[in-house]
Amino acid sequence: MTELTEATGLGERMVSMTLPNGLVCHFVPKPGYHKTYAMFTTQFGSIDNSFRTSSDADFTTIPAGSAHFLEHKLFDKEDYDAFDLFGKSGASSNAFTSATQTSYLFSGTTAIADNLNILLDFVQDPYFTDATVEKEKGIIGQEIQMYQDDAGWRLYSGILGNLYPTHPVHLDVAGTVESISEITPEVLREIHAAFYHPSNMVLTVVGNFDVEEVAALVTANQAKKDFGPAGMLERGVGPDYDLETILPFRMLTMPISRAKGIVGIKGTEALGDDLEGLRYAVTCRMLLELLFGDSGETYEKLYNAGVIDDSFFTEFTRGRGYNFIALGGDNVDPAVLTESLVDAIANYTSSPDFNADRFARLKKAALGKFYASLNSLESIANQVTDSSFGSTTLFDVPAVMESISFRDVQAVAASILNLDALSVFHIMSEQTEGIADE
Amino acid sequence: MRVKITDGVHLSVVPTTQFKTTRISVNFLAPLQLETIGARTLLTSLLEMSSTKYPTQAEFSAELENLYGASFGINVARAGRVHRVSAGMQILDSAYADVNLLDDAFAFLREALLNPRIEGGSFDVATFAREKTNLAMYLNSLSDDRATKAGLAVQASYFADPAQAVPSFGTADGLDGLTAKSLVATYQEMIKDDQIEIIMVGNVDLEKARALAASFGFAPRPSMQGTLEYDQPVLQTIARKTEKEQVTQSKLNLAYHIEGDHFGPQYYAALVACELFGGSPLSLLFRNVREKESLAYYASANANMMRHFMMVQAGIDAVNESRVEELIAAQLAAVVSGDFTDDHFQAIKDGMVNDRKASLDSQGFIADLALSSAMLPDAKLDAQTELTRINAVTREQVQAAAAKMKLQAVYFLNGEAH
Repeated sequence: MTELTEATGLGERMVSMTLPNGLVCHFVPKPGYHKTYAMFTTQFGSIDNSFRTSSDADFTTIPAGSAHFLEHKLFDKEDYDAFDLFGKSGASSNAFTSATQTSYLFSGTTAIADNLNILLDFVQDPYFTDATVEKEKGIIGQEIQMYQDDAGWRLYSGILGNLYPTHPVHLDVAGTVESISEITPEVLREIHAAFYHPSNMVLTVVGNFDVEEVAALVTANQAKKDFGPAGMLERGVGPDYDLETILPFRMLTMPISRAKGIVGIKGTEALGDDLEGLRYAVTCRMLLELLFGDSGETYEKLYNAGVIDDSFFTEFTRGRGYNFIALGGDNVDPAVLTESLVDAIANYTSSPDFNADRFARLKKAALGKFYASLNSLESIANQVTDSSFGSTTLFDVPAVMESISFRDVQAVAASILNLDALSVFHIMSEQTEGIADE
Repeated sequence: MRVKITDGVHLSVVPTTQFKTTRISVNFLAPLQLETIGARTLLTSLLEMSSTKYPTQAEFSAELENLYGASFGINVARAGRVHRVSAGMQILDSAYADVNLLDDAFAFLREALLNPRIEGGSFDVATFAREKTNLAMYLNSLSDDRATKAGLAVQASYFADPAQAVPSFGTADGLDGLTAKSLVATYQEMIKDDQIEIIMVGNVDLEKARALAASFGFAPRPSMQGTLEYDQPVLQTIARKTEKEQVTQSKLNLAYHIEGDHFGPQYYAALVACELFGGSPLSLLFRNVREKESLAYYASANANMMRHFMMVQAGIDAVNESRVEELIAAQLAAVVSGDFTDDHFQAIKDGMVNDRKASLDSQGFIADLALSSAMLPDAKLDAQTELTRINAVTREQVQAAAAKMKLQAVYFLNGEAH
């Protein structure tokens, strides 16, 4: 019998186990809730464009968009569609691919045992034919085109292209119409075999269910399947903390009414997926709030001057092998926006907002927002899954937040607010007069 | 439970320990009028950023941070013939904070709603000018998202009543005549005349909640009379509009008139018919237009029973326009003729039941449900009644409901302008 370990805190309880085949499972029971949300995730995303297993002499390179294509195709089986199986009990199902992960999920209020078996089985039992793979190219082609018209998405993609021009994190998760045209059933079979071994995956279940029953069900389901031992899996993609490759500025023009600008700062320090990495990420998000939050003088000054508006955003992203800051928004003249932001970053030590009193208040607010996020089963599942690939848990977050001092913020600011690592991207508005009158 | 605070002002409390937060909303309800939509929307921008005690946005936001990162916002919405301004606040339950935040939250709401920054009969002129500009730019930029643009355009074609034809948050043109002084009148009318529904969801005691609701000191006012639903006659002609733009993906949106009997059997049959037609990944539109024919990235339908309106939206290649429109019509015809299996029909209903149960895990949905119940006291909107009524819908009722769905307007955004 696989050992169950239990952790509690924050008014929550989490039970975990690791099966003999390597699959890690986390269960967070929420008895007051109506639904159960289950998420089955592999550590395989769009940046994993080459790999080598113990049977390969060389690295295999795969077309951009392969992880996302596989995600779409796994639902489709010889004589059924996994959507429909979930649908039989009224459950809904979905999946998404990011730069570093692919997740499959369902949400339901009844027949949780059946739905969990469906989830595990459809993800672990691939079925691809030439015909179904060809047909999917049309559907994904539409998806790719739709994003091309989305200015917010193009802005984000643009700054990634500036910061990571030689790293696959800058590529569209879905690939391009050209790259996906090269995908074959053989490619999908290979990547499924390499990245969907249970030892590379985590199952997270949150909601109204009986932990012991569900643990037994997952154990029995996995015991019936033979995946062989977890082989060596070497990823071709490396980390990117390189200042040399950064493109300092690019722009494009789109048929939109509001121009947009974004400033990116490439992280040059490798962050672990341990407590220190978590601490750095939380500190960095607090730093951005401190310098640019809407209770600060900088925000107010820029807002009152019409430099920023409600579209203004800041974010810190930490991925496998990269991390970066991004901030931006709408302005008729994106140069006015990005120059003001770069100026604020360059002079942050003299910002009236950069002080310990304000930090203490923001820390209190951050704690409150973290607790509030635990209202959502989806939010719990995402946080549990993300930390599962490292050595921290959801329960570490409040203590980490409490422990951060203003001195820590100063240290992180000195490390990441590096003007040599900074880049700017603009989207200008294009006049499309005349076209509508044709 | 809904209790009267004074004439036209009520409090609904949903006690629950399910969440780590308490959610409060103060809802101002007025008849939907084209003339006031823009003014009320701009008013929310001013009310949600400062007050007499917190005259700057920085001070206003800092107070929310002091309340453990409480969230606060004011938005507008349309429910049938009603225009709603809702001030919402979410605070941490006292179990997770070292102080009881409920009293502080109401003090903040009273300050934000009752002591706006008005001096000499006018909002601050500079703030007003900036918020008006920002809102106008935001409203103009909505059409940068072509799916939104197409959705608004087909509604503009479909609705006969100009107040229904515009978005619930208004248009940039509608802001033109507003001034820092005229908005004071808009504010005073809202506070004095609107029906008010206060909603609280969380670990709260009814007597305590009643005292807090009364602390606003709202004067008595009449509640709204008459039906809240909007309906219009079915026309024999279909309004068609095409625009060209230099975008990659084209958008095809269709507007239908739908029948409903105010939460009776026909109402639920229409909801199930819409779900089967295009409301879920199991629907005919999703399966046949998107999955089987690969003719669209998205193809879906949604119904607004309060407005007797159903919209189909699809993202397509321009060359496929007529083919997609035929296929959409064929899917609705399949619902009308009963061309679906019993299993499929049951799965659609089970999906709706599942969704409604799952919604009860959202504090926001519970608050919305309490507000709808308060606005429609004659309808039984509790979850159990809804589930029973959805389950009771028959195939024949769904076919009949679909037969009454009449295409009235088509909007095509043609991306092939290159």
